[in-house]
Amino acid sequence: MPRPACFLIVAVILSASLRAESPKLRFETDVRGILRAHCFQCHGEESEVRANLDLRLVRFMHKGGDSGAAIVPGKPDDSLLYQRLRDGEMPPDESKRISDEELNTIRDWIVSGAETVRDEPDRLGADGYITEEEKSHWSLQAIRRPAVPEVDDPTQVANPIDAFLLRRLQDQGLGFSPPASPRKLLRRLSLDLLGLPPTPESVERFVTDLAVAERPESIWSATVDNLLQSPHHGERWARHWLDVAGYADSEGYNDVDTERRDAWRYRDYVIHSLNTDMAFDQFITEQLAGDELVQSPRDNLSDEDAQLLVATGFLRMAPDGTGGAVADKLQARNDTIADTIRIVSSSLLGLTVGCAQCHDHRYDPITQTDYYRFRAIFQPAFDPENWKAPATRRVSLHTQADRALAEKIEGEAKKLDAERDLKQSELINSTFEKQLQKLPEAIHELAHAAHATTAGKRTPEQKELLRKHPNLNVTSKSLYLYDRKAADQLKAMAAKAAQMRATKPKQEFVRALTETPGRIPATHLFFRGNPDQPRQELQPGGLSVVSFISDLPAIPGEVTDLSTSGRRLALAKRLTHPNYPLTARVIVNRVWRHHFGRGLVETPSDFGVQGQLPSHPELLDWLAAEFMDREWSLKHVHRLILNSRAWQQSIADNQRSRQLDPDNALFGSARLQRLDAEIVRDCILAISGRLNTKAFGPAVPVMADRVGRFVIGKENMDAGRPGSVIDMKGEQYRRSIYIQMRRSRPLAVLEAFDQPPMTPNCDKRNASTASTQSLLMMNSELLLTFSRHFADRLTQITPDESEQIDTAWQLVYCRNPKPLEREAAVRFLEDQRSILEGQVAYRPDPKKPPVRTAKHEALAVMCQMLLGSNEFLYVD
Amino acid sequence: MNMQTTRCTAGSRRHFLASGAINMGSLALAWLMNQDRVTAEVKKPDLQQRVYDTTPKIPPGEPKARAMISLWMQGGPSHHDMFDPKPEMAKYDGKEFPGELKYDNAAQASSKVFHSPWKFQPRGQSGMELSELIPHTGSIADDICLIRSMQTNVNNHGQSIRALQSGRTVEGRPSLGSWLTYGLGSESDSLPAFMSLIDPGQLPVLGVDNWSNGWLPSIYQGTVVRPKEPRILDLTPPTHLKGKAQRRALEYLEQLNANHLAEYPGSTDLQARIASYQLAARMQTAATEALDLSQESRKTQEMYGMHEKATAEYGSRCLIARRLIERGVRFVQVYTANQLWDSHGSIMSRLPAACKKVDRPSAALVQDLKQRGLLDTTVVHWGGEMGRLPVVQNDAGRSKIGRDHNTYGFSMWLAGGGFKAGHVHGQTDEWGHKAVDDVVNHYDYHATLLHLFGLEHDQLVFNRSNRDQTLTDGQPGKVIDGLLA
Repeated sequence: MPRPACFLIVAVILSASLRAESPKLRFETDVRGILRAHCFQCHGEESEVRANLDLRLVRFMHKGGDSGAAIVPGKPDDSLLYQRLRDGEMPPDESKRISDEELNTIRDWIVSGAETVRDEPDRLGADGYITEEEKSHWSLQAIRRPAVPEVDDPTQVANPIDAFLLRRLQDQGLGFSPPASPRKLLRRLSLDLLGLPPTPESVERFVTDLAVAERPESIWSATVDNLLQSPHHGERWARHWLDVAGYADSEGYNDVDTERRDAWRYRDYVIHSLNTDMAFDQFITEQLAGDELVQSPRDNLSDEDAQLLVATGFLRMAPDGTGGAVADKLQARNDTIADTIRIVSSSLLGLTVGCAQCHDHRYDPITQTDYYRFRAIFQPAFDPENWKAPATRRVSLHTQADRALAEKIEGEAKKLDAERDLKQSELINSTFEKQLQKLPEAIHELAHAAHATTAGKRTPEQKELLRKHPNLNVTSKSLYLYDRKAADQLKAMAAKAAQMRATKPKQEFVRALTETPGRIPATHLFFRGNPDQPRQELQPGGLSVVSFISDLPAIPGEVTDLSTSGRRLALAKRLTHPNYPLTARVIVNRVWRHHFGRGLVETPSDFGVQGQLPSHPELLDWLAAEFMDREWSLKHVHRLILNSRAWQQSIADNQRSRQLDPDNALFGSARLQRLDAEIVRDCILAISGRLNTKAFGPAVPVMADRVGRFVIGKENMDAGRPGSVIDMKGEQYRRSIYIQMRRSRPLAVLEAFDQPPMTPNCDKRNASTASTQSLLMMNSELLLTFSRHFADRLTQITPDESEQIDTAWQLVYCRNPKPLEREAAVRFLEDQRSILEGQVAYRPDPKKPPVRTAKHEALAVMCQMLLGSNEFLYVD
Repeated sequence: MNMQTTRCTAGSRRHFLASGAINMGSLALAWLMNQDRVTAEVKKPDLQQRVYDTTPKIPPGEPKARAMISLWMQGGPSHHDMFDPKPEMAKYDGKEFPGELKYDNAAQASSKVFHSPWKFQPRGQSGMELSELIPHTGSIADDICLIRSMQTNVNNHGQSIRALQSGRTVEGRPSLGSWLTYGLGSESDSLPAFMSLIDPGQLPVLGVDNWSNGWLPSIYQGTVVRPKEPRILDLTPPTHLKGKAQRRALEYLEQLNANHLAEYPGSTDLQARIASYQLAARMQTAATEALDLSQESRKTQEMYGMHEKATAEYGSRCLIARRLIERGVRFVQVYTANQLWDSHGSIMSRLPAACKKVDRPSAALVQDLKQRGLLDTTVVHWGGEMGRLPVVQNDAGRSKIGRDHNTYGFSMWLAGGGFKAGHVHGQTDEWGHKAVDDVVNHYDYHATLLHLFGLEHDQLVFNRSNRDQTLTDGQPGKVIDGLLA
C-alpha cells in the first residue's frame, strides 16, 4: 500500500531548458524521455520484452519486433511506433496515454529523420543506458565554487550571498527591499534560530545598542553569534532535521502504534549535535554507520561509543510493524526497509530513489537494479531472514562495572529475601500453633500433617479437617488477619530488600541499528517490487549515474578491518566525499529554505528531472562549496545567511516587483511566514511566563482527554475510563520538541497547526489556515488557561493598566502599542469588564469571593486575542 | 497506514472583510453580489491580487446539481458480488481462468475462477440486477444510475484513489471537493463549503490527501468532522465568553488583524485567517445545530439504521451529510474505514459485514433526499477506487478466500443531480474483468460530473505558475450522455 508523503507541491517543470537549442529534434534530447515514461517498462526494461520490441535505442527500433521495424525515418505514417501511439493502441493503459504535444514531438522527430545526437552503444548492460543528456543534469555535476558576480551597488552587499541575488534582481531592474525595522528583525531572528520570542529587555537593549553603534553590522553579527550559542538553538533546528528523519516516539504501521520508549535519545543526540555544531559530514556518518565506528566492546560501551549507537537511531525511525501481529510478516519487514530507504534518500540523496523499487525510475536515470544495490548497503543490518524485532534491538548501556555492582546488590538483596522467608515460616508456624491450641488434642496430629502438606496434595481427611476448622488455614496471605504486627514486620523486611534492589545502577537502553557479525545476507532484486518474487542477486552500490560522472569511493561487499560489513560506512564516505554532487547542495538548500521560507530549489528532496530547477544555481553551488570548505559547519552557513542584506530585508509591497517576480523567487523581499505548530505553542508558553526550559530526557507523555482530544498527561485509566488527573509537575510546560510524538496521538494544538504525520517522514511542511485553528484559539481550554497565566504575569509585573498593555505588546509583538492601539485596548478592557461584571461568576460576594475579578478576566481575554492575532501567528 | 493531520478549510469573503459585523447575509444577496463567472484567470500575474473566496458563483452552464455527497468505499467493493452478475460464470466456478490477469498480490494469486456465491435478482421497475448483499440498495434501484464499466487502469489503491479523487494518479493535486468549492463557492456562510466525515477506524488510504486542496488556495480544503462527539472540537465558547463577551472580543481581534493587514494588504493568507475567525464564530451555532441529530425524528433516525448496532455509526454520518447539504454545504464526503472493502481474504465473512454497515444508510440517504425534494439537485455518489478479480485469491479454504484488485472494470453508482435514474450503464466482459462497452474512465466521470454542475472540465481552470490547470489535466475526458437524465 503506498503511503502519502507529507504535503508536497511538485511543480512540473518541462525539461525545456535541457533540450538542445538546435531546432532539429533528436532522440536523446527530445524523444527518449517520453518513451521512457510511457513505454520502456514493457519494451526494454523487463526481462520479458513485449512483442520483442525494445524501444530504448533507435537502433533497436530499426531492428523492430514481431511486427517489423518500428520506425521509417521521414515517414511517421508508415512508422508503427507513431501509428500505435496516434491511434491510442499504445500504451494499452488508457490513463498513461501520451499527450498530443508529446505525440507531435515524436512525429516531428520521425519526419526530420529520427536521428540521435551520437552513436548508440552496441548493447545495453544490466544498468540500461545512461545518456549524455541524463548525465548532464544540473544536480549531478560536480560542485565548483563559482566566481562572485559584480553588482552595481556594492554597498548593498554584506557577503557573496547578496551579490548573487542582487545580480539577478538587477537584471530584472529590481533590487533589495529596505531592511526591516530592528524590532522586527530581532523577533524574526529569535523565532528563526531559537523558536522563542526575544524578551522585552533584550529587544530594548538591542535597539539601544544599535542606535548608538558606530558599526551597526557588528552589533547584529554579535547578536546572531549570541543566539547561535543558545542551548535553545538546537531545540529549534533539531525539529527541521527530525521532520526529514521521520522522528516518532512510536512504531506506527498499524493502529497498535506501540511506544518507542528509548527513541528520545536520538532526538537528544540531534539537538546536542546541532548545538555543538558537529561537522555535518560527521553527523551524517554517525547516523548512517555509527555502529561501524564503535571501538569498545558491546557489553562495556564508552560514552562516546554509546552516542554513536544512539546516532543510528536515524535508521530506526521508519514505521515498523514487525514487533506485533501483522498479516504478512515478510511484507511488514520489507515495508520497513523500503521506508528506511525512502527516509535516507529524501533526507540525504536529493533523488526519489523509492520510485525504482518496482521498475526503473520513470524520469531519473535510476534503474531498479540501482535500487536493490542501494538496498544491499542496508541488508546486513536489515536482514529479512534474520530479522530483529524492535524489542531485541535494544542495546543496554550497562557497563561491566554496572553489571558487577548490580550483581553484588542482587546478592545482598537475596540474603534479605531469605531472611524474610525464614521469618515468615516461623511466624506462620507459631500462629498455627496458637490456633491449634484452641482445638482438642485429638486432631493435632492430623492438623500438623495437613499444615505441613501443600494445599494441592492434602488427603481428603486433611482437607475435611481444614474445612471444619478454617482458622487453621494460616498462610502467608492470611497471616495479617491473625497477627497484624507480624505481617507488618514481614512487609518491612520485603521493603528493605526492594530498597536494596533500587540502588542497582538503572539499566538504560539505546534503539540502535547493528549488524550480526559475520553474517552478510544476499540481496535480490524483487520483480515488480514483490518480495515474493526474488530475482538476481546484487552487490551493494551507490547510484550508478553518480558513479559514472564523479570519481567516488566504491561500496565494497565486505571489508576485513571491521567486524561489520563496512557497507554503510562506505556509503557515508561516499555521500560526504567532496566529489559527491548532491549532499552538500541538498543540505544548504534545506537550511536556506528554513531561513527564507522558500528554497533555492523548491523541491527539497527531489533534485532530479521532476524536481524544480534551482532559481540561483550559482549561489547554491557557492554555498555548498563554502559549506564543505568550512568543515561542513552549519553554523557557518547560518551566519552567512543571517548576516546577508537579503535576509534582513523587509516585506515589500511593491507593484513592480509583484509584477516582475510574483512568487518572489528572486528574493527581492522577505516573506510573511506562519509560525510552525511547535513554535506557536512554545511562544504561548514563553509569553505567558510558564515555559519550562528543562532540556533533554524521555518524552513527556500524551493522552486522550475525556473528549478524545490528545493533550499532555499521563494516562490514568480506571476500568477503561479516564481516572483522576496525574500532576505533571511542570512537565506540561516543556518545549514541544520534548513532547511525545506518538503517531496515533498527535497533540491537538500541534496537529491543528499542521504538525506533519510521520508516514514515514516529511520534507516540507504545510501551513494551512483553517476555521478549526480559529476555534482552538477562541474556545480551547489550552488558550484560556495560558491567557489567564499571561494576565497573571502582567498583573504581577505592574498594577497599572496602561503599563500592562505596553508589556503585553512587548511580549507578544516585540514592540510598544501605538497610541491609537493603546486607546483601543483600554476601551476593550472597559467594555469587556462591564460585560463580565454582569455575570454571576464575577459579582463581588464577601462570602464567596470570585476566583477572578471581571477586570482580571477582561485582561485575560485581551491576552487571548493578542495570541490569536495574525501579528503573533506570522513572522514578518 | 495513514494517521494524518486534520487539515481544514476556511472561507474568505470580500464582503466579510469589508464589514467587521457578523451578519448572516441572505443567499440571494450573495448571489447578486457575485456575478463573476467561473472563467479562466488572466494569464499574466494579476496586479490587483486576487482574493479567493467561497461566495456562491454562478456556473457558466445550466446546472442540474448544486451539491454532492460522496459515500467513499475505500478498498474496492467487489462488483462481482454486489453489482455485476455473471451467471454464465457459474459453470466455470473453480476451473482455470483462460485469460491473463494482473495481480497485486502474486504470492496468493490463483487462476481459479470464482463465481459469486451470492444471488442476484432484478429490482425495481427498471429490473436492475443487484445482489442479496445489498437489499436496501435494491429498494432504490429506480433512483440510481449504476455504472458497470468504470476503469482507472492503475492497479493499486493509492494511484486509483488519486485518479478518482483528484483526477490524476500523481500526488499533490486538489481533490474533487476543492475544485467544486473553488468553482462554485458555498451556499452557506456559516459552515465550511467542503466537509469530510471520517470513519472511527483508521483514515482511508492516502489520509488527508483525500480532501486536500493541493495547490488551490487553502480555503478550498475539506474540513474534517470527527467520527464521535464532539464532532468538531472547541465549538462551544467557554461559559464566561458566551454571547456578548465573545462578540466584543472577536470584534477587537478583527480590529487588531485589520491594523496588521493594512501593513501587508496583498496577503491572501492574512485575509484567509481573518475570514476563518468569522466563519469559526458562525460555526459555533451553525455547526452545533447542523450536527445535532436529536432534532431528527425517531422515524428518520431508524430509517438510517441508527437503532441498530451494525448501521448506527454509518447511518448517523449519512444523516449528518443530509443535514449539511440542507444547510448549503457544497460537498460532503462520508468515508468507510481504511481498506474496509479490500477483500483479499475472508470475503465470505468480511464482505457481508461491510455491506451490512453501509447498505441501509446509503439507501436511506437517497430516499430521504428524494422525499425532501433535494435529490434533484444533489448528487449522491457510492463507490470506491476499484473492483475485484474474477478469480480466487488466497486459495486456502472457503473461509479464507478473497479476490485481488481490479481497476480494469468495476462498478459504482450515482443518484440525483441529473444522473439518469434506474439505469445501468456499460458492461464488463463475460468474466467481469475488463470494462468493454461504454467504458467510463475517471476523467469521463469527472467531465460528466462537472457538466452536471454547470461547469466544463476543460474550462474550470486555476492558473498556477502561468499554466492553466484543470481537474482532468488534459486527459481525454468526455461528458457521457448516456449517464444524463
